[in-house]
Amino acid sequence: MDFYKIKFNPTAHKKYLLRILRGLPPSLSSMDTHRVILTYFAVSGLDLLNELDSFPNKQATIEWLYSLQVFDDSELVSGFQGSSTLNTELNQGQNALYKWGHIATTYSALATLVILKDDLERVHRKSIIKSLRSLQLPNGCFMGAKDGTEHDMRFVFCAACICYILDDFSGMDIDRTVDFILKSISYDFGIAQGPQLESHSGSTFCAVATLALTKQLHRLSPPQLEGLKRWLLNRFENGFTGRPNKPSDTCYSFWTGGALKILNAYQFIEEKDNDQFILVTQDRNGGFSKWVNTAPDAMHTYLGLAGLSFMNETGISSVFPDLNMSTRAHEHLLSLHRKWRGC
Amino acid sequence: MGESSSDESDTTFQLYKDRREWKDVTPVPQDDGDQPIVAIDYTEQFKDVFDYFRAVLQSGEKSERALNLTKDAAALNPANYTVWQYRREILKALNKDLNEEMDFIEKIIVYNQPKNYQVWHHRKVLVEWLQDAAKEKYLTETVLAKDAKNYHAWQHRQWIIKTFNLYDGELEYIDSLISDDIRNNSAWNQRYFVVMGTTGFTEEVLNREIDYALSNIKVVTENESAWNYLRGVLLHDKCGLSRNKKVTEFCEELYNSGNRSPFLLALLVDMCSEQVSQGNEDPLYNLERAKNLCNELSEKYDTVRAKYWQFMAETIEKKSKKEESQVEAEN
Repeated sequence: MDFYKIKFNPTAHKKYLLRILRGLPPSLSSMDTHRVILTYFAVSGLDLLNELDSFPNKQATIEWLYSLQVFDDSELVSGFQGSSTLNTELNQGQNALYKWGHIATTYSALATLVILKDDLERVHRKSIIKSLRSLQLPNGCFMGAKDGTEHDMRFVFCAACICYILDDFSGMDIDRTVDFILKSISYDFGIAQGPQLESHSGSTFCAVATLALTKQLHRLSPPQLEGLKRWLLNRFENGFTGRPNKPSDTCYSFWTGGALKILNAYQFIEEKDNDQFILVTQDRNGGFSKWVNTAPDAMHTYLGLAGLSFMNETGISSVFPDLNMSTRAHEHLLSLHRKWRGC
Repeated sequence: MGESSSDESDTTFQLYKDRREWKDVTPVPQDDGDQPIVAIDYTEQFKDVFDYFRAVLQSGEKSERALNLTKDAAALNPANYTVWQYRREILKALNKDLNEEMDFIEKIIVYNQPKNYQVWHHRKVLVEWLQDAAKEKYLTETVLAKDAKNYHAWQHRQWIIKTFNLYDGELEYIDSLISDDIRNNSAWNQRYFVVMGTTGFTEEVLNREIDYALSNIKVVTENESAWNYLRGVLLHDKCGLSRNKKVTEFCEELYNSGNRSPFLLALLVDMCSEQVSQGNEDPLYNLERAKNLCNELSEKYDTVRAKYWQFMAETIEKKSKKEESQVEAEN
């Protein structure tokens, strides 16, 4: 049987991720506002492959990310932009209309800086936290930016990550955050993007990681916790799915797997040849796709690698699921926290 | 994301820099620094449109031509939320007919971008401005006809139903979806949403919904959605999971007929667990049965979660010992 097993091809993935960092073709112009998120996927992916050294533009990446930082305590739009789309020679280094941070790209930029071993000394921590706080709605959920965006569990997770990375939870009202999460638990004990919506592994991961980062996992009652574990475990069938009766998809090996890891229940699923479900979506030229015979992309590649890490695939570093970065990067962050706290 | 993003340059497209009516505006190039990361090899058209978009943002121009420019920019990158935000500002400033905008965004949602957050958000803001949700059910139904599990569409639909109290006819719509695909978990979730938002689970409704779930389970016994719904409904049964006669009789009959759906076995395990943790010695739902069922699950019917079911058996055994020692202590 072993003869038929698909082998993990780390070299191809390294090349694929380096290609993304070098640039994208015009067909991916719709990614224009999310370049920071793609950078995070590629850099964190290289980190998981222990290949950061093969990326020559580490310092340039750090400088580019800082060039996207906005701090503006009067408009409360501090954070990191997702790309330079709105940046011009005239407004370089200045505040301007719609030069706003976005919660998802702020998290991605900060995570990437941590992974690249930056010391975060140039981050306007206080301003970002202050702006972040203004994005929380009365029901505890978070908006993505000051105006013009939706609000859901994804952004709650991003907010928790930003607070955790900057070691300052005054960026959110934790009680209201937890209240929003508890109200988003469905009748099937999975967690949705918001109250009464359908439970989904992506939002479940976001909620569980938020509870872990804010040290509030104990707020789940025993039946909620047991029901949640059961719901997540049932998401494993020929690979990981995101909702009941939906096909499996590479990215859920992280969203479902990561939530199970945080809840200390990952070990309950079958281990043998589990990696094959992810490896069937491995492209011969590197990268992972959502399904078999579809085109690979940065997100599925990174989440596939992170999913393989949970399966202890040889050649992949361990992941700290709560922040979705390597354990090594998380250790670096903790050393920064100690320095900031003066201990 | 961008099925509609311009893979091929549009041959009929006249660049803004060549348009006479834009001669008074100086395009503003993007400043991406010395060493950009994940740089996109923009087409000439993309660069041209966004050079003018930046110029308009810089001058704050809110005009008919600027409105058209945002349409081109949104077509090139529908995920650019600033373009949509600025477009809304122009719509307001020019006091435009928002119904026209509703038609415009509807076409984009239905034909190009049914899974794009920005376009659904644009739609939501327009509905809020107009305070008119008359077309929303139809819109979401059109989208759900193509993909009955589209999360954006369901989210939008729940929002308009809640905000404008449009629960009427929803159970019938859900019925039609479930008869098309009994495994449509989104539709099952919507059913719960409707009951919670209308009657709530009164005794009568509880009964009705149990019947509904059971009759659907009968059709496909390995349907997680229907089992989850049944269990969700039973959360409203004061007597718990294991004392509803209709449910227990249904489950026993199914089990005795030889059915071994893992969802049936799992529910029976949880019924045993409930009785054991209450310190009861039920003839049907007890520790021995739980252990046997967990064995069946881990060895035969749900082997990928074998370790979980072994763990469950141990957990229930611990509960029973705890109960025993409590009884002894009381004696």
